[in-house]
Amino acid sequence: MAFVIEKQATTTWLQKLLECGEVIAPVRGPCGDILFSSVHSPDQVAWDFQNPLSPPKQVVLPQTDPLIKITRNAGSYEVEPVYDDGRRFLFNVRSCDAKGIAFLTQMYEMEPADASYLRRARSLTIISLACNKPCPLGFCICSGSGPFLSEGYDVQLTDLGESYLVEVGSEKGEAAISGASNLFRSATEEEVSQRQRMEVEAKNHFEEETCHFASAMRRISTGRVQDALWEKMSDWCLECGACNMVCPTCYCFSVKDLSEDGTWIRCRIWDSCQYAAFTLEASGHNPRADRKQRMKRRFFHKVSAQYYQRDGVVGCVGCGRCIKVCLGSTDMPAVVGAIRKGKWNE
Amino acid sequence: MSAYPTTCPFCACGCGFYLLSNNGQLAGVAPSENHPVSGGKLCARGWSAHEATLWGDRLRRPLLRRNGKPEPVPWSEALDSITGRLQALISAGKPVGLLGSPRASNEENYLAAKFARAGLQTNNVDFSYHSTCRPLLSGIGDVYGDRTPTASISTIESCQTVLLVEGDLAKTHPRVASAVMKAVENGAHLITVGYRTTQMARLSSLHLSVLPGDEGEVITGLLAAVFDLQQQNRTPAAAVGGGYESFCQNVKNIKRTAELQQAAEWIVRAPRATFLLAVNGGHGDQSRKDAATFASLAAISGHPERPGSGLLLLLPRSNVRGACDMGSACGHLPGYVSFDDEKARQRLQQLWSKKLPSDRGWEAEELLQHVSGLIILADDPPSVVPMGQRAMAALEKIEFLAVLDAFVTPTIRAAHVALPIASFAETEGTLTNMEGRVQRLRAAANPPGEAKAGWQVLAELCSSFGVGDACSSTKDVLREITQAVPRYAAVEQLPKDDWGDVLLENSDNPDFQLDFTGSQGVAAPACAERPYVLVREGSFDWGRDPLVYYSPTLSRDYQSERKLFPNGFVEMSKRDADARNLSGGRRVRIASAHGDAIVPIQLRTDLKAGVVSVPYAFRDHLASVLGPDHATAVSIELP
Amino acid sequence: MNDAFLPEIARLVGVADETPDTKTFSLRFRDAHNGGNFHFLPGQFLELSVFGYGEGPFCIASSPTRPHTLEATVRRTGQLTGALHRLGPGEEVGIRGPFGNGFDVAGARGKDLLFVAGGIGLPPLRSLIWNVLDERSRFGKVTILYGARTPTDLVYKQELEEWGKRSDVELHVTVDVAQPGWTGNVGVVPSLFRKITLHPDSTLTYVCGPPIMIRITVHDLLGLGFKEEAVISTLERMMQCGIGKCNHCAIGHRYVCRDGPVFNCAQIKELVE
Repeated sequence: MAFVIEKQATTTWLQKLLECGEVIAPVRGPCGDILFSSVHSPDQVAWDFQNPLSPPKQVVLPQTDPLIKITRNAGSYEVEPVYDDGRRFLFNVRSCDAKGIAFLTQMYEMEPADASYLRRARSLTIISLACNKPCPLGFCICSGSGPFLSEGYDVQLTDLGESYLVEVGSEKGEAAISGASNLFRSATEEEVSQRQRMEVEAKNHFEEETCHFASAMRRISTGRVQDALWEKMSDWCLECGACNMVCPTCYCFSVKDLSEDGTWIRCRIWDSCQYAAFTLEASGHNPRADRKQRMKRRFFHKVSAQYYQRDGVVGCVGCGRCIKVCLGSTDMPAVVGAIRKGKWNE
Repeated sequence: MSAYPTTCPFCACGCGFYLLSNNGQLAGVAPSENHPVSGGKLCARGWSAHEATLWGDRLRRPLLRRNGKPEPVPWSEALDSITGRLQALISAGKPVGLLGSPRASNEENYLAAKFARAGLQTNNVDFSYHSTCRPLLSGIGDVYGDRTPTASISTIESCQTVLLVEGDLAKTHPRVASAVMKAVENGAHLITVGYRTTQMARLSSLHLSVLPGDEGEVITGLLAAVFDLQQQNRTPAAAVGGGYESFCQNVKNIKRTAELQQAAEWIVRAPRATFLLAVNGGHGDQSRKDAATFASLAAISGHPERPGSGLLLLLPRSNVRGACDMGSACGHLPGYVSFDDEKARQRLQQLWSKKLPSDRGWEAEELLQHVSGLIILADDPPSVVPMGQRAMAALEKIEFLAVLDAFVTPTIRAAHVALPIASFAETEGTLTNMEGRVQRLRAAANPPGEAKAGWQVLAELCSSFGVGDACSSTKDVLREITQAVPRYAAVEQLPKDDWGDVLLENSDNPDFQLDFTGSQGVAAPACAERPYVLVREGSFDWGRDPLVYYSPTLSRDYQSERKLFPNGFVEMSKRDADARNLSGGRRVRIASAHGDAIVPIQLRTDLKAGVVSVPYAFRDHLASVLGPDHATAVSIELP
Repeated sequence: MNDAFLPEIARLVGVADETPDTKTFSLRFRDAHNGGNFHFLPGQFLELSVFGYGEGPFCIASSPTRPHTLEATVRRTGQLTGALHRLGPGEEVGIRGPFGNGFDVAGARGKDLLFVAGGIGLPPLRSLIWNVLDERSRFGKVTILYGARTPTDLVYKQELEEWGKRSDVELHVTVDVAQPGWTGNVGVVPSLFRKITLHPDSTLTYVCGPPIMIRITVHDLLGLGFKEEAVISTLERMMQCGIGKCNHCAIGHRYVCRDGPVFNCAQIKELVE
């Protein structure tokens, strides 16, 4: 079911959403960067922007995520979950990020499910903005994560020029529209065709249709990547963990108790498999003491057939963030390319 | 979800990022693509910058020690106690002093220095890291005066040649390592000098492997080789600098190897080059001379005059430069001008309306051992100064010790009065990075309990000693700084919002005075009875810095190491160990002319043969062996 | 859906010293009916919280045939275990679990069982051992080989005596280094193989201990004709969540907390580090 909303009307729509819950959208800040932030007025929302470096996964999986609260009463303890299930709208995320959140939800739904994450995810409505003009570093078509989505969205907006095409993909999406139904009209056939054409044009923007995930996957999954290649590549990694922090499909974490005035909040905090201490055991033994071992681990998780079979998707949405944030030069395309060629570009 | 742009508080690269907070509580970090230094990137420390503020053992209330136990007291009582005790000591003619901090802001360091010099009327003012970096600052200053052609981190990647005297750049300054990597990716020649085949060394076009203490010899050789090429090219730049005549004489006798000549080619032929010098903790005259030689090498290459080329002294901690510039440095006045600079003295006396004392004052390590009263700003000296735990013993003997900090440290536990101040994430202020870039800190959360902004507390202390009014905002402090330090004039224009920064006056046409008197190496080089050189590795222990120590993510490696090796360890080259049939974990007796110690060994394949290294964090366990040196010849035997 | 991170509160009902740095903690759920809901298999583990210090994975050392009290044997190695060691009876801790795959007890029926343990490797096997002994008639021969560095380092000293006295169990104990008064075997655990008759075809072997001991033992067993599928061990890794989400314990696409910690040698060989 497709609708259309005139561009001027989006202000009213956002107003309505703000009445229903928290609205988080890309906002241009004073230092010129775009960041996903809570908005209190529709004019804060950015519509023409490059995808922010800081990913919106933090809305469902915050970098510091309170899970349970522990209170002490004399010699006795009480524990209770920290509830965060207020209604939220994530507005103007890109296709890759919508796909990323869907991926994370799949991870956290796996038995045993994580109620804390799911409370947030289930009360979050994702309104994504398809990419008419793909970003320069993105490679979303390599994993079916963009530039347009065919499923896995609550609402998908496409910029038609004077208006947005509005595709509703779920009940939550319907609910996001229904509160302001007077702003939306049915899309015409021409408008729907226009959206299809735009998707094709957007895909043509990418230089190569085929991607290298498949061949890299074959080699990684059958242990055919030489140790010497991992070693060489790992010299170009500075273990900053940025790739994990900004990646929409990374979700490694540690659990630590934060003390707060006589109580403790047990928090989930983002972690990185690239950090030496990630697998460091209390005894001092570390099965991945070398950087090359940790790098191998990262790309096995992202690109192996074993994980692909388990999850049904490759662990990368092609958003291109790791290319921008990598302190070294070991971003996804570079490593996948090296694995395919069997050697590292220098 | 709110985002606050601020400057990274860890090393002196001065990256920027947004602190994220939810409902007033810090939650995480977001990178900034627009930031002039970090450009969207951050290292592991940056990504966890919010953690210590949240998870750390925070000082929440002023504490006064009564009957050996710290008791929470109101601010007024704590401040009165400090004022009273210090005045009593001063009246009794006992020496008092103050230590500024390489991790405190410019405003805090400035007010602290003013408090001590004008308020307490003492020049016993220093900061813990100063003695380590001063020789190199002086050495570079011997060549360039106060107009060092400082490189910008962002220009490194477009250089064709990079000369790096290590350190372990990938660990100490990841952002700089990143820029060097990009340069190498673009085809640049990287020349590394050091005793370890570090990550940077593996990426180099040429790694000049040297024993600790012999870096100067290599730099001197390189200098001579560059000189030869410049002679051939008849480059006018080489003739402009002072000291040229004596230089030409001295340089004749230096050995030029084929390797050095190749490196010199790369340096001279490159359109742009960067010269990176790590602070290796060698102290005294030798370090100074080596730094002067390094600066002379850069000067004679002709590069520093060119845009996109320059020198960088790799200071380890975020505000070492700021602490120097703000007057927290012994032997210097604000502006890091010489103590004897009469003009500067007059200016300050006028600004502060107080006459300044005329004796130089003690340096940090001496200060700790001799004062009767001491104020410490945001620092834990035993974890920073080379003398290590002996500094703690000295602190415990001080009659009156007051400490301002956000975090509980061992120094806080020795204090008679502890004042809680805001962490970097909870205060406004500025930091000066190693490029000379002054940038803002912005508060993203409120300090806990009754903690106050450090600058506020120091302004009150100043006022109670009759120096200036309690400042009402950091703007007031900044304005005063521009008057005390003319070089900081432009910082008043730092925009409120935005990644505005001010690059301190850099020179496009630096004058230089060639200074090269040759290298001497370590005091006690390897010999037949003591065939190895033991070196104290690095000059800074990140594991004990509160921003790392209290971060769950960052502290893991360090905690594990300390737990598994309560008596420390030394690293030995695997080749050397195999030749002696020594396996990893084996305890050995290491002995020098100064003394000996028994310690386990860890084997390393990246360590040059003949070198034994003790991490800076474990220097106390080898104190008897090292003596006053940072490197010395040793023998290794089974105990 | 239960909150996977929410612990149940349990009380220590007993603390027993095993060695100078190891204690066995006996626990009961504070809320009685939780005990009835807590069904576990030998080989599974708990995430135990010492409030104020954090949480850590510890194998369940008691058998599901004795469900009213849970037991965990813990060596003091750091902050969390240090804090646990300072607790006494009556004090409260948090429990999440049970996690992991556990031993295939049903699949072991009718077989001869060989238990080979070193040092602190005995606690994970003890859960299975007591399960077997409590249902003795369902299993074939039971042989237990156990060793530690010194006699002081042996855990479950009293139970070892009990097991040694049983006619339906063959027990051999050894130490690397004897101490005055020790009259038993001296030597590494694999040296005990020559004291017993091995039937590789009908025996399931369970090995647990320090990594190097496991390596040597497995090597010897395979050399003696045991099939990889019949040699079973438990793996240990740094863990945080216990529910297969945090990725700390992932080896390839297997998670020690979900696909393990019990693995046979064939499965271990396939793990992609």
